[in-house]
Amino acid sequence: MVDATYSPRPMRFKIRNLRLWLPLLWIVTLIIAAVFAPIFAPHDPLAQDLMLERLPPFFIDGSEPGHLLGTDSLGRDVLSRMIYGARIALFVSVIAAFSTGIFGSTLGLIAGYYGGWWDRVISRLVDIWMAFPPVLFAVLLVAVIGTGLTSVIFAIALIDWTRFARVIRAETMVQAQMDYVDSARIGGARRMATLLSEILPNVLPSIIALLALEMGIAVIVEAILSFVNLSISSDDPTWGSMISEGRGAIHFAWWVLLFPLIALFLTVLSFSTLGEGLKKQFDPVLK
Amino acid sequence: MNNLHAKTLDIINLNVTLPNGHRLLRDVSLSLDPGEVRALVGESGAGKSMIGKAVLGILPTGISISQGEILLEGTHLNALTPATRRKTIAQTSALIPQDPLTALNPVRKIGPQITDPLTRIHGWTKARALARTRELLDRVHIRNPDRVLNSYPHELSGGMRQRILIAAAFAPSPRLIVADEPTTALDVTVQKEILRLIRELQRETGTGVLFVTHDMGVVAKISQKVTVLFGGRVVEDAPTHRIFENPEHAYTRALIAATPTPNASTEPFRPVPPALIAELHREIQADDDRFSKRAHR
Ligand SMILES: Nc1ncnc2c1ncn2[C@@H]1O[C@H](COP(=O)(O)OP(=O)(O)O)[C@@H](O)[C@H]1O
Ligand SMILES: [Mg+2]
Repeated sequence: MVDATYSPRPMRFKIRNLRLWLPLLWIVTLIIAAVFAPIFAPHDPLAQDLMLERLPPFFIDGSEPGHLLGTDSLGRDVLSRMIYGARIALFVSVIAAFSTGIFGSTLGLIAGYYGGWWDRVISRLVDIWMAFPPVLFAVLLVAVIGTGLTSVIFAIALIDWTRFARVIRAETMVQAQMDYVDSARIGGARRMATLLSEILPNVLPSIIALLALEMGIAVIVEAILSFVNLSISSDDPTWGSMISEGRGAIHFAWWVLLFPLIALFLTVLSFSTLGEGLKKQFDPVLK
Repeated sequence: MNNLHAKTLDIINLNVTLPNGHRLLRDVSLSLDPGEVRALVGESGAGKSMIGKAVLGILPTGISISQGEILLEGTHLNALTPATRRKTIAQTSALIPQDPLTALNPVRKIGPQITDPLTRIHGWTKARALARTRELLDRVHIRNPDRVLNSYPHELSGGMRQRILIAAAFAPSPRLIVADEPTTALDVTVQKEILRLIRELQRETGTGVLFVTHDMGVVAKISQKVTVLFGGRVVEDAPTHRIFENPEHAYTRALIAATPTPNASTEPFRPVPPALIAELHREIQADDDRFSKRAHR
Protein backbone atom coordinates (compact mmCIF):
# COMPACT_ATOMS: atom_id res chain seq x y z
CA MET A 1 0.00 0.00 0.00
CA VAL A 2 2.63 2.46 1.06
CA ASP A 3 5.59 3.07 -1.20
CA ALA A 4 8.53 0.78 -0.56
CA THR A 5 10.79 3.81 -0.56
CA TYR A 6 9.36 5.23 2.59
CA SER A 7 10.91 8.65 2.84
CA PRO A 8 11.48 10.51 6.08
CA ARG A 9 8.87 12.86 7.42
CA PRO A 10 9.34 16.46 6.44
CA MET A 11 10.59 19.13 8.80
CA ARG A 12 12.57 16.61 10.82
CA PHE A 13 16.09 17.75 11.36
CA LYS A 14 18.37 15.07 10.01
CA ILE A 15 22.11 14.94 10.51
CA ARG A 16 23.23 15.11 6.93
CA ASN A 17 26.80 16.23 6.66
CA LEU A 18 29.46 18.66 7.66
CA ARG A 19 28.28 21.24 5.16
CA LEU A 20 25.44 21.86 7.52
CA TRP A 21 27.11 21.25 10.84
CA LEU A 22 30.27 23.31 10.43
CA PRO A 23 28.45 26.54 9.60
CA LEU A 24 26.02 25.86 12.38
CA LEU A 25 28.87 25.30 14.82
CA TRP A 26 30.46 28.60 13.86
CA ILE A 27 27.22 30.54 14.13
CA VAL A 28 26.29 28.99 17.47
CA THR A 29 29.77 29.82 18.78
CA LEU A 30 29.27 33.34 17.56
CA ILE A 31 25.86 33.62 19.18
CA ILE A 32 27.16 32.35 22.52
CA ALA A 33 30.14 34.67 22.35
CA ALA A 34 27.87 37.58 21.49
CA VAL A 35 25.29 36.92 24.18
CA PHE A 36 27.85 36.31 26.90
CA ALA A 37 30.35 38.84 25.62
CA PRO A 38 31.00 40.36 29.07
CA ILE A 39 31.91 36.91 30.39
CA PHE A 40 34.01 35.69 27.49
CA ALA A 41 35.80 38.89 26.56
CA PRO A 42 39.04 38.96 28.55
CA HIS A 43 39.18 42.77 28.48
CA ASP A 44 37.05 45.85 28.14
CA PRO A 45 36.83 46.30 24.36
CA LEU A 46 37.22 50.06 24.73
CA ALA A 47 40.02 50.07 27.28
CA GLN A 48 43.14 51.63 25.82
CA ASP A 49 46.59 50.93 27.16
CA LEU A 50 49.28 52.74 25.27
CA MET A 51 51.94 50.70 27.10
CA LEU A 52 50.58 47.59 25.40
CA GLU A 53 50.01 48.84 21.87
CA ARG A 54 50.38 46.50 18.90
CA LEU A 55 51.07 43.36 20.86
CA PRO A 56 51.19 40.39 18.48
CA PRO A 57 48.95 37.30 18.82
CA PHE A 58 49.93 34.41 21.07
CA PHE A 59 51.89 32.40 18.53
CA ILE A 60 54.38 35.16 17.83
CA ASP A 61 57.31 36.23 19.99
CA GLY A 62 56.64 39.24 22.16
CA SER A 63 53.00 38.41 22.87
CA GLU A 64 51.38 38.92 26.25
CA PRO A 65 49.48 36.02 27.81
CA GLY A 66 46.41 38.19 28.52
CA HIS A 67 46.03 39.26 24.88
CA LEU A 68 45.41 36.09 22.88
CA LEU A 69 44.98 37.77 19.52
CA GLY A 70 47.15 40.78 20.31
CA THR A 71 46.25 44.45 20.63
CA ASP A 72 45.70 47.31 18.21
CA SER A 73 47.43 50.67 17.82
CA LEU A 74 45.69 52.00 20.92
CA GLY A 75 46.48 48.92 22.99
CA ARG A 76 42.91 47.59 22.88
CA ASP A 77 42.48 43.82 23.05
CA VAL A 78 41.66 42.44 19.56
CA LEU A 79 39.84 39.32 20.79
CA SER A 80 37.62 41.31 23.15
CA ARG A 81 36.78 43.77 20.41
CA MET A 82 35.94 40.93 18.04
CA ILE A 83 33.63 39.32 20.60
CA TYR A 84 31.79 42.59 21.15
CA GLY A 85 31.86 43.10 17.39
CA ALA A 86 30.02 39.78 16.99
CA ARG A 87 27.23 41.27 19.10
CA ILE A 88 26.72 44.12 16.71
CA ALA A 89 27.15 41.94 13.64
CA LEU A 90 24.57 39.40 14.80
CA PHE A 91 22.13 42.00 16.06
CA VAL A 92 22.23 43.83 12.76
CA SER A 93 22.04 40.68 10.69
CA VAL A 94 19.05 39.20 12.52
CA ILE A 95 17.00 42.39 12.64
CA ALA A 96 17.92 43.46 9.14
CA ALA A 97 17.34 40.03 7.58
CA PHE A 98 13.96 39.62 9.21
CA SER A 99 12.71 43.09 8.31
CA THR A 100 13.97 42.63 4.77
CA GLY A 101 12.51 39.13 4.59
CA ILE A 102 9.10 39.97 5.96
CA PHE A 103 8.69 43.02 3.75
CA GLY A 104 10.03 41.42 0.57
CA SER A 105 8.30 38.06 1.02
CA THR A 106 4.94 39.68 1.68
CA LEU A 107 5.16 41.63 -1.56
CA GLY A 108 6.42 38.55 -3.40
CA LEU A 109 3.55 36.41 -2.12
CA ILE A 110 0.97 39.03 -3.07
CA ALA A 111 2.42 39.63 -6.54
CA GLY A 112 2.81 35.91 -7.22
CA TYR A 113 -0.63 34.84 -6.07
CA TYR A 114 -2.94 37.76 -6.75
CA GLY A 115 -1.28 38.54 -10.10
CA GLY A 116 -2.84 41.17 -12.34
CA TRP A 117 -2.67 44.72 -11.11
CA TRP A 118 -0.84 43.80 -7.88
CA ASP A 119 1.81 41.96 -9.82
CA ARG A 120 2.30 44.75 -12.34
CA VAL A 121 2.81 47.38 -9.65
CA ILE A 122 5.10 45.29 -7.44
CA SER A 123 7.17 43.92 -10.32
CA ARG A 124 7.65 47.39 -11.76
CA LEU A 125 8.73 48.68 -8.37
CA VAL A 126 11.26 45.86 -8.09
CA ASP A 127 12.66 46.67 -11.54
CA ILE A 128 13.04 50.35 -10.75
CA TRP A 129 14.57 49.59 -7.37
CA MET A 130 17.11 47.21 -8.81
CA ALA A 131 18.36 49.78 -11.27
CA PHE A 132 20.18 51.54 -8.38
CA PRO A 133 23.71 50.35 -7.53
CA PRO A 134 23.14 48.93 -4.03
CA VAL A 135 26.28 50.04 -2.20
CA LEU A 136 25.99 53.57 -3.50
CA PHE A 137 22.35 53.45 -2.50
CA ALA A 138 23.27 52.36 1.03
CA VAL A 139 25.96 54.97 1.46
CA LEU A 140 23.70 57.73 0.16
CA LEU A 141 20.87 56.59 2.34
CA VAL A 142 22.88 56.49 5.54
CA ALA A 143 24.45 59.79 4.60
CA VAL A 144 20.98 61.29 4.32
CA ILE A 145 19.21 59.70 7.29
CA GLY A 146 22.28 59.75 9.50
CA THR A 147 24.64 57.13 10.83
CA GLY A 148 23.87 54.54 13.45
CA LEU A 149 22.68 50.96 13.68
CA THR A 150 19.03 51.76 12.95
CA SER A 151 20.03 53.48 9.74
CA VAL A 152 22.19 50.53 8.77
CA ILE A 153 19.31 48.12 9.31
CA PHE A 154 16.93 50.41 7.50
CA ALA A 155 19.33 50.72 4.59
CA ILE A 156 19.70 46.96 4.27
CA ALA A 157 15.95 46.35 4.30
CA LEU A 158 15.34 49.15 1.85
CA ILE A 159 17.92 47.85 -0.59
CA ASP A 160 17.50 44.12 -0.39
CA TRP A 161 13.77 43.49 -0.11
CA THR A 162 13.78 43.02 -3.89
CA ARG A 163 15.77 39.80 -3.52
CA PHE A 164 12.95 38.28 -1.46
CA ALA A 165 10.22 39.81 -3.57
CA ARG A 166 11.65 38.39 -6.80
CA VAL A 167 12.39 34.88 -5.61
CA ILE A 168 9.22 34.47 -3.55
CA ARG A 169 7.06 35.87 -6.35
CA ALA A 170 8.45 33.30 -8.77
CA GLU A 171 8.01 30.43 -6.32
CA THR A 172 4.52 31.56 -5.39
CA MET A 173 3.54 31.61 -9.06
CA VAL A 174 4.73 28.01 -9.41
CA GLN A 175 2.78 26.93 -6.33
CA ALA A 176 -0.32 28.86 -7.40
CA GLN A 177 -0.52 26.63 -10.50
CA MET A 178 -0.68 23.48 -8.42
CA ASP A 179 -3.96 21.60 -8.24
CA TYR A 180 -3.99 21.67 -4.46
CA VAL A 181 -4.58 25.42 -4.61
CA ASP A 182 -7.63 24.84 -6.81
CA SER A 183 -8.81 22.11 -4.46
CA ALA A 184 -8.55 24.45 -1.48
CA ARG A 185 -10.51 27.11 -3.35
CA ILE A 186 -13.22 24.62 -4.38
CA GLY A 187 -13.28 23.59 -0.72
CA GLY A 188 -14.33 27.14 0.05
CA ALA A 189 -11.05 28.62 1.29
CA ARG A 190 -10.71 32.37 0.90
CA ARG A 191 -7.84 33.70 -1.18
CA MET A 192 -5.94 35.06 1.81
CA ALA A 193 -6.37 31.79 3.71
CA THR A 194 -5.23 29.83 0.68
CA LEU A 195 -2.17 32.02 0.38
CA LEU A 196 -1.25 31.75 4.05
CA SER A 197 -2.06 28.15 4.84
CA GLU A 198 -1.53 26.40 1.51
CA ILE A 199 1.08 28.35 -0.44
CA LEU A 200 3.19 29.98 2.27
CA PRO A 201 4.28 26.67 3.87
CA ASN A 202 5.52 25.59 0.45
CA VAL A 203 7.65 28.67 -0.13
CA LEU A 204 8.88 28.81 3.47
CA PRO A 205 12.02 26.75 2.72
CA SER A 206 13.06 29.38 0.21
CA ILE A 207 12.28 32.19 2.63
CA ILE A 208 14.44 30.53 5.28
CA ALA A 209 17.29 29.99 2.85
CA LEU A 210 17.08 33.62 1.76
CA LEU A 211 16.97 34.77 5.38
CA ALA A 212 20.22 32.98 6.13
CA LEU A 213 21.79 34.42 3.01
CA GLU A 214 20.49 37.86 3.93
CA MET A 215 22.05 37.62 7.38
CA GLY A 216 25.40 37.06 5.69
CA ILE A 217 24.80 40.01 3.41
CA ALA A 218 23.77 42.18 6.36
CA VAL A 219 27.04 41.37 8.12
CA ILE A 220 28.97 42.50 5.05
CA VAL A 221 26.93 45.65 4.54
CA GLU A 222 27.33 46.60 8.18
CA ALA A 223 31.07 45.99 7.86
CA ILE A 224 31.27 48.10 4.73
CA LEU A 225 29.36 50.93 6.34
CA SER A 226 31.56 50.70 9.43
CA PHE A 227 34.58 50.65 7.18
CA VAL A 228 33.59 53.96 5.64
CA ASN A 229 32.56 55.24 9.05
CA LEU A 230 28.85 55.39 8.32
CA SER A 231 27.73 52.87 10.89
CA ILE A 232 27.93 53.49 14.65
CA SER A 233 30.66 55.64 16.16
CA SER A 234 34.10 54.38 15.25
CA ASP A 235 35.02 53.78 18.88
CA ASP A 236 32.49 50.99 19.12
CA PRO A 237 33.95 47.65 18.28
CA THR A 238 32.55 46.49 14.94
CA TRP A 239 34.38 44.14 12.61
CA GLY A 240 34.18 46.69 9.86
CA SER A 241 35.74 49.48 11.89
CA MET A 242 38.45 47.08 13.10
CA ILE A 243 39.25 46.18 9.51
CA SER A 244 39.28 49.84 8.64
CA GLU A 245 41.67 50.71 11.46
CA GLY A 246 43.77 47.62 10.86
CA ARG A 247 44.27 48.62 7.26
CA GLY A 248 46.34 51.64 8.32
CA ALA A 249 48.62 49.49 10.42
CA ILE A 250 48.86 46.48 8.16
CA HIS A 251 52.66 46.58 7.89
CA PHE A 252 53.33 46.52 11.62
CA ALA A 253 50.18 44.96 13.09
CA TRP A 254 48.50 42.82 10.42
CA TRP A 255 46.53 40.87 13.06
CA VAL A 256 44.28 43.83 13.75
CA LEU A 257 43.07 43.51 10.16
CA LEU A 258 43.29 39.77 9.64
CA PHE A 259 41.31 38.33 12.55
CA PRO A 260 38.12 40.36 12.08
CA LEU A 261 38.42 39.72 8.36
CA ILE A 262 38.50 35.95 8.99
CA ALA A 263 35.53 36.22 11.35
CA LEU A 264 33.61 38.21 8.74
CA PHE A 265 34.46 35.74 6.00
CA LEU A 266 33.53 32.68 8.07
CA THR A 267 30.26 34.26 9.16
CA VAL A 268 29.15 35.19 5.68
CA LEU A 269 30.16 31.78 4.33
CA SER A 270 28.40 30.00 7.19
CA PHE A 271 25.17 31.89 6.70
CA SER A 272 24.99 31.19 2.99
CA THR A 273 25.97 27.51 3.32
CA LEU A 274 23.49 27.11 6.13
CA GLY A 275 20.82 28.73 3.99
CA GLU A 276 21.33 26.21 1.23
CA GLY A 277 21.43 23.32 3.68
CA LEU A 278 18.29 24.44 5.49
CA LYS A 279 16.42 24.76 2.24
CA LYS A 280 17.10 21.11 1.55
CA GLN A 281 16.25 20.07 5.11
CA PHE A 282 12.92 21.82 5.07
CA ASP A 283 11.98 20.63 1.63
CA PRO A 284 9.89 17.50 2.14
CA VAL A 285 10.02 16.32 -1.42
CA LEU A 286 13.71 17.15 -1.98
CA LYS A 287 13.27 18.46 -5.49
CA MET B 1 -32.63 28.00 -2.04
CA ASN B 2 -32.13 25.10 -4.42
CA ASN B 3 -34.81 24.07 -6.81
CA LEU B 4 -35.38 20.37 -6.26
CA HIS B 5 -36.47 19.85 -9.83
CA ALA B 6 -33.57 21.74 -11.30
CA LYS B 7 -30.82 20.11 -13.24
CA THR B 8 -27.61 19.60 -11.27
CA LEU B 9 -25.76 21.61 -13.86
CA ASP B 10 -26.88 23.65 -16.81
CA ILE B 11 -24.36 25.39 -19.03
CA ILE B 12 -25.86 27.72 -21.61
CA ASN B 13 -23.83 29.19 -24.48
CA LEU B 14 -20.68 29.47 -22.41
CA ASN B 15 -17.83 31.46 -23.88
CA VAL B 16 -14.52 31.53 -22.06
CA THR B 17 -11.98 34.00 -23.33
CA LEU B 18 -8.32 34.97 -23.04
CA PRO B 19 -7.51 38.64 -22.29
CA ASN B 20 -6.78 39.17 -26.01
CA GLY B 21 -10.32 38.06 -26.87
CA HIS B 22 -9.34 34.61 -28.15
CA ARG B 23 -12.06 32.12 -27.24
CA LEU B 24 -11.10 28.89 -25.49
CA LEU B 25 -14.75 27.79 -25.20
CA ARG B 26 -17.19 28.62 -27.99
CA ASP B 27 -20.89 28.69 -27.16
CA VAL B 28 -20.72 25.51 -25.12
CA SER B 29 -24.04 24.20 -23.81
CA LEU B 30 -24.61 21.07 -21.83
CA SER B 31 -26.61 19.86 -18.87
CA LEU B 32 -26.39 17.25 -16.21
CA ASP B 33 -29.29 15.60 -14.42
CA PRO B 34 -28.98 14.57 -10.78
CA GLY B 35 -27.07 11.30 -10.48
CA GLU B 36 -26.04 11.35 -14.11
CA VAL B 37 -22.55 10.83 -15.48
CA ARG B 38 -21.69 12.89 -18.52
CA ALA B 39 -18.42 12.31 -20.32
CA LEU B 40 -16.57 15.22 -21.90
CA VAL B 41 -14.41 13.81 -24.67
CA GLY B 42 -12.06 15.32 -27.15
CA GLU B 43 -8.40 15.56 -27.93
CA SER B 44 -5.93 17.36 -25.73
CA GLY B 45 -6.62 21.10 -25.85
CA ALA B 46 -10.28 20.68 -26.79
CA GLY B 47 -11.35 22.67 -23.73
CA LYS B 48 -12.57 19.81 -21.54
CA SER B 49 -10.74 20.97 -18.42
CA MET B 50 -11.69 24.58 -19.12
CA ILE B 51 -15.37 23.66 -18.81
CA GLY B 52 -14.74 22.08 -15.42
CA LYS B 53 -12.72 25.08 -14.29
CA ALA B 54 -15.39 27.52 -15.38
CA VAL B 55 -18.01 25.58 -13.45
CA LEU B 56 -15.89 25.34 -10.32
CA GLY B 57 -14.78 28.97 -10.46
CA ILE B 58 -11.08 28.21 -10.82
CA LEU B 59 -10.33 29.67 -14.23
CA PRO B 60 -6.65 30.74 -14.43
CA THR B 61 -6.04 34.47 -13.89
CA GLY B 62 -6.77 36.43 -17.04
CA ILE B 63 -9.12 33.81 -18.46
CA SER B 64 -12.73 34.73 -17.92
CA ILE B 65 -16.31 33.95 -18.83
CA SER B 66 -17.19 36.49 -21.53
CA GLN B 67 -20.71 35.25 -22.26
CA GLY B 68 -23.13 32.61 -21.19
CA GLU B 69 -24.68 31.18 -18.08
CA ILE B 70 -23.80 28.48 -15.61
CA LEU B 71 -26.62 27.22 -13.40
CA LEU B 72 -25.66 25.07 -10.47
CA GLU B 73 -28.75 23.39 -8.99
CA GLY B 74 -30.80 26.13 -10.59
CA THR B 75 -28.70 28.97 -9.20
CA HIS B 76 -27.25 31.41 -11.72
CA LEU B 77 -23.59 31.55 -10.71
CA ASN B 78 -22.95 34.78 -12.65
CA ALA B 79 -25.58 36.58 -10.64
CA LEU B 80 -23.86 35.91 -7.33
CA THR B 81 -21.19 37.96 -5.61
CA PRO B 82 -17.76 36.27 -5.71
CA ALA B 83 -17.99 35.28 -2.04
CA THR B 84 -21.48 33.80 -2.36
CA ARG B 85 -20.51 32.07 -5.58
CA ARG B 86 -17.53 30.48 -3.85
CA LYS B 87 -19.70 29.29 -1.02
CA THR B 88 -22.37 27.92 -3.37
CA ILE B 89 -19.77 26.03 -5.37
CA ALA B 90 -18.07 24.72 -2.24
CA GLN B 91 -21.36 23.50 -0.80
CA THR B 92 -22.44 21.65 -3.92
CA SER B 93 -19.35 20.63 -5.83
CA ALA B 94 -16.03 18.85 -5.66
CA LEU B 95 -13.15 18.03 -7.97
CA ILE B 96 -11.29 14.81 -8.60
CA PRO B 97 -8.19 16.18 -10.29
CA GLN B 98 -5.99 14.69 -12.95
CA ASP B 99 -2.65 14.61 -11.21
CA PRO B 100 -2.79 13.06 -7.74
CA LEU B 101 0.74 14.31 -7.13
CA THR B 102 0.03 18.03 -7.19
CA ALA B 103 -3.57 17.79 -6.01
CA LEU B 104 -2.51 17.30 -2.41
CA ASN B 105 -0.47 19.92 -0.62
CA PRO B 106 2.98 18.36 -0.10
CA VAL B 107 3.68 20.07 3.21
CA ARG B 108 0.34 19.37 4.90
CA LYS B 109 -0.87 16.13 6.41
CA ILE B 110 -3.60 14.30 4.51
CA GLY B 111 -6.12 14.44 7.38
CA PRO B 112 -6.75 18.19 7.60
CA GLN B 113 -6.65 18.48 3.83
CA ILE B 114 -9.75 16.29 3.66
CA THR B 115 -11.55 17.49 6.76
CA ASP B 116 -10.95 21.26 6.32
CA PRO B 117 -13.71 21.76 3.72
CA LEU B 118 -16.11 19.60 5.73
CA THR B 119 -15.76 21.70 8.85
CA ARG B 120 -15.34 25.01 7.05
CA ILE B 121 -18.10 24.85 4.48
CA HIS B 122 -20.46 22.17 5.64
CA GLY B 123 -20.21 23.25 9.25
CA TRP B 124 -19.55 19.75 10.53
CA THR B 125 -17.84 19.15 13.85
CA LYS B 126 -14.30 17.87 13.75
CA ALA B 127 -15.45 14.48 15.03
CA ARG B 128 -18.16 14.13 12.41
CA ALA B 129 -15.77 15.15 9.64
CA LEU B 130 -13.21 12.60 10.82
CA ALA B 131 -15.78 9.83 11.12
CA ARG B 132 -17.08 10.49 7.62
CA THR B 133 -13.55 10.65 6.23
CA ARG B 134 -12.66 7.32 7.85
CA GLU B 135 -15.84 5.82 6.41
CA LEU B 136 -14.97 7.02 2.92
CA LEU B 137 -11.34 5.91 3.17
CA ASP B 138 -12.65 2.50 4.10
CA ARG B 139 -14.96 2.58 1.07
CA VAL B 140 -11.99 3.19 -1.23
CA HIS B 141 -10.20 0.25 0.39
CA ILE B 142 -7.63 2.10 2.43
CA ARG B 143 -6.85 -0.26 5.23
CA ASN B 144 -5.29 1.88 7.94
CA PRO B 145 -7.09 5.21 7.68
CA ASP B 146 -5.55 6.73 10.78
CA ARG B 147 -2.05 6.13 9.57
CA VAL B 148 -2.96 7.63 6.19
CA LEU B 149 -4.59 10.67 7.77
CA ASN B 150 -1.34 11.32 9.61
CA SER B 151 0.82 10.93 6.52
CA TYR B 152 2.20 13.44 4.09
CA PRO B 153 1.31 12.95 0.42
CA HIS B 154 4.79 11.90 -0.67
CA GLU B 155 4.65 8.94 1.69
CA LEU B 156 1.89 7.35 -0.38
CA SER B 157 1.77 5.82 -3.85
CA GLY B 158 0.02 7.49 -6.78
CA GLY B 159 -2.89 5.04 -6.77
CA MET B 160 -3.38 5.54 -3.05
CA ARG B 161 -3.34 9.32 -3.40
CA GLN B 162 -5.96 9.12 -6.12
CA ARG B 163 -8.18 6.96 -3.92
CA ILE B 164 -7.76 9.51 -1.14
CA LEU B 165 -8.80 12.28 -3.52
CA ILE B 166 -11.86 10.29 -4.51
CA ALA B 167 -12.75 9.80 -0.85
CA ALA B 168 -12.24 13.51 -0.22
CA ALA B 169 -14.44 14.49 -3.16
CA PHE B 170 -17.30 12.20 -2.13
CA ALA B 171 -17.05 12.86 1.61
CA PRO B 172 -19.58 15.74 1.71
CA SER B 173 -21.90 13.87 -0.74
CA PRO B 174 -21.73 16.72 -3.24
CA ARG B 175 -24.38 17.20 -5.93
CA LEU B 176 -21.71 17.64 -8.59
CA ILE B 177 -18.25 16.20 -9.07
CA VAL B 178 -15.93 17.22 -11.85
CA ALA B 179 -13.55 14.33 -12.49
CA ASP B 180 -10.77 15.64 -14.73
CA GLU B 181 -9.06 12.66 -16.33
CA PRO B 182 -8.79 10.98 -12.93
CA THR B 183 -7.13 7.87 -14.33
CA THR B 184 -4.79 9.33 -16.93
CA ALA B 185 -1.78 9.59 -14.64
CA LEU B 186 -2.18 6.04 -13.33
CA ASP B 187 -1.13 2.70 -14.73
CA VAL B 188 -3.69 0.45 -16.35
CA THR B 189 -4.33 -1.95 -13.47
CA VAL B 190 -4.97 0.92 -11.06
CA GLN B 191 -7.12 2.75 -13.64
CA LYS B 192 -9.76 0.04 -13.59
CA GLU B 193 -10.09 0.06 -9.83
CA ILE B 194 -10.31 3.85 -9.72
CA LEU B 195 -13.05 3.85 -12.36
CA ARG B 196 -14.99 1.20 -10.47
CA LEU B 197 -14.70 3.18 -7.21
CA ILE B 198 -15.97 6.37 -8.81
CA ARG B 199 -18.85 4.47 -10.41
CA GLU B 200 -19.83 2.80 -7.11
CA LEU B 201 -19.63 5.91 -4.99
CA GLN B 202 -21.43 7.94 -7.62
CA ARG B 203 -24.34 5.49 -7.55
CA GLU B 204 -24.45 5.39 -3.77
CA THR B 205 -24.41 9.13 -3.29
CA GLY B 206 -26.46 10.02 -6.35
CA THR B 207 -23.86 12.58 -7.35
CA GLY B 208 -23.86 14.01 -10.85
CA VAL B 209 -20.45 13.67 -12.49
CA LEU B 210 -18.80 15.56 -15.32
CA PHE B 211 -16.23 13.03 -16.37
CA VAL B 212 -13.43 14.47 -18.48
CA THR B 213 -11.51 11.95 -20.57
CA HIS B 214 -9.96 11.48 -23.98
CA ASP B 215 -10.49 7.73 -23.87
CA MET B 216 -13.63 6.43 -25.62
CA GLY B 217 -13.15 3.12 -23.82
CA VAL B 218 -13.64 4.88 -20.49
CA VAL B 219 -16.61 6.79 -21.90
CA ALA B 220 -18.37 3.53 -22.69
CA LYS B 221 -17.76 2.17 -19.19
CA ILE B 222 -18.80 5.10 -17.06
CA SER B 223 -21.18 7.55 -18.70
CA GLN B 224 -24.82 7.83 -19.73
CA LYS B 225 -24.33 10.98 -21.80
CA VAL B 226 -21.46 12.26 -23.89
CA THR B 227 -20.36 15.68 -25.05
CA VAL B 228 -17.78 15.54 -27.83
CA LEU B 229 -15.61 18.65 -28.06
CA PHE B 230 -13.23 20.02 -30.61
CA GLY B 231 -11.47 23.37 -30.42
CA GLY B 232 -13.69 24.55 -27.56
CA ARG B 233 -16.86 23.72 -29.50
CA VAL B 234 -19.45 21.06 -28.91
CA VAL B 235 -19.30 18.72 -31.88
CA GLU B 236 -21.90 16.24 -30.69
CA ASP B 237 -24.05 15.73 -27.61
CA ALA B 238 -25.88 12.44 -27.24
CA PRO B 239 -26.62 9.51 -24.94
CA THR B 240 -23.63 7.20 -24.69
CA HIS B 241 -25.28 4.23 -26.41
CA ARG B 242 -26.19 6.40 -29.38
CA ILE B 243 -22.66 7.79 -29.60
CA PHE B 244 -21.34 4.29 -30.05
CA GLU B 245 -24.18 2.73 -32.05
CA ASN B 246 -25.04 5.61 -34.31
CA PRO B 247 -22.60 8.52 -34.07
CA GLU B 248 -23.82 11.52 -36.01
CA HIS B 249 -20.69 13.52 -36.53
CA ALA B 250 -17.74 12.33 -38.58
CA TYR B 251 -15.40 13.51 -35.82
CA THR B 252 -17.14 11.30 -33.26
CA ARG B 253 -16.80 8.34 -35.61
CA ALA B 254 -13.14 9.17 -36.09
CA LEU B 255 -12.57 9.35 -32.33
CA ILE B 256 -14.19 5.95 -31.85
CA ALA B 257 -12.18 4.51 -34.69
CA ALA B 258 -8.99 5.94 -33.22
CA THR B 259 -9.59 4.20 -29.90
CA PRO B 260 -7.28 1.22 -29.45
CA THR B 261 -9.35 -1.98 -29.19
CA PRO B 262 -8.41 -5.06 -27.14
CA ASN B 263 -7.09 -6.65 -30.34
CA ALA B 264 -5.16 -3.54 -31.22
CA SER B 265 -2.23 -5.60 -32.46
CA THR B 266 -4.29 -7.05 -35.34
CA GLU B 267 -6.29 -3.91 -36.22
CA PRO B 268 -4.42 -0.92 -37.57
CA PHE B 269 -4.53 2.30 -35.51
CA ARG B 270 -6.61 4.88 -37.35
CA PRO B 271 -5.89 8.47 -36.40
CA VAL B 272 -8.41 11.25 -37.06
CA PRO B 273 -8.09 12.13 -40.79
CA PRO B 274 -6.34 15.50 -41.40
CA ALA B 275 -9.03 16.54 -43.88
CA LEU B 276 -11.63 16.26 -41.13
CA ILE B 277 -9.49 18.32 -38.73
CA ALA B 278 -9.09 21.00 -41.41
CA GLU B 279 -12.85 21.03 -41.95
CA LEU B 280 -13.45 21.47 -38.20
CA HIS B 281 -10.97 24.34 -38.07
CA ARG B 282 -12.81 26.07 -40.93
CA GLU B 283 -16.05 25.74 -39.00
CA ILE B 284 -14.39 27.28 -35.95
CA GLN B 285 -13.07 30.16 -38.04
CA ALA B 286 -16.53 30.85 -39.49
CA ASP B 287 -17.95 30.63 -36.00
CA ASP B 288 -15.39 33.10 -34.63
CA ASP B 289 -16.16 35.53 -37.47
CA ARG B 290 -19.86 35.41 -36.64
CA PHE B 291 -19.02 35.84 -32.96
CA SER B 292 -16.90 38.95 -33.50
CA LYS B 293 -19.58 40.49 -35.73
CA ARG B 294 -22.11 39.82 -33.01
CA ALA B 295 -19.78 41.44 -30.48
CA HIS B 296 -19.21 44.51 -32.64
CA ARG B 297 -22.82 45.21 -33.31
N1 LIG C 1 -3.62 29.10 -18.39
C1 LIG C 1 -3.90 29.13 -19.72
N2 LIG C 1 -3.60 30.23 -20.44
C2 LIG C 1 -3.87 30.27 -21.76
N3 LIG C 1 -4.43 29.27 -22.45
C3 LIG C 1 -4.76 28.15 -21.79
C4 LIG C 1 -4.51 28.02 -20.39
N4 LIG C 1 -4.91 26.80 -20.01
C5 LIG C 1 -5.40 26.19 -21.12
N5 LIG C 1 -5.30 26.99 -22.19
C6 LIG C 1 -5.75 26.69 -23.55
O1 LIG C 1 -7.13 26.41 -23.50
C7 LIG C 1 -7.45 25.38 -24.39
C8 LIG C 1 -8.24 24.31 -23.67
O2 LIG C 1 -7.44 23.77 -22.65
P1 LIG C 1 -7.94 22.58 -21.74
O3 LIG C 1 -9.33 22.84 -21.31
O4 LIG C 1 -6.92 22.38 -20.68
O5 LIG C 1 -7.90 21.35 -22.76
P2 LIG C 1 -8.20 19.83 -22.43
O6 LIG C 1 -9.33 19.47 -23.31
O7 LIG C 1 -6.96 19.10 -22.84
O8 LIG C 1 -8.48 19.70 -20.99
C9 LIG C 1 -6.14 24.86 -24.96
O9 LIG C 1 -6.00 25.34 -26.26
C10 LIG C 1 -5.10 25.43 -24.08
O10 LIG C 1 -3.94 25.74 -24.80
MG1 LIG D 1 -7.37 18.71 -19.52
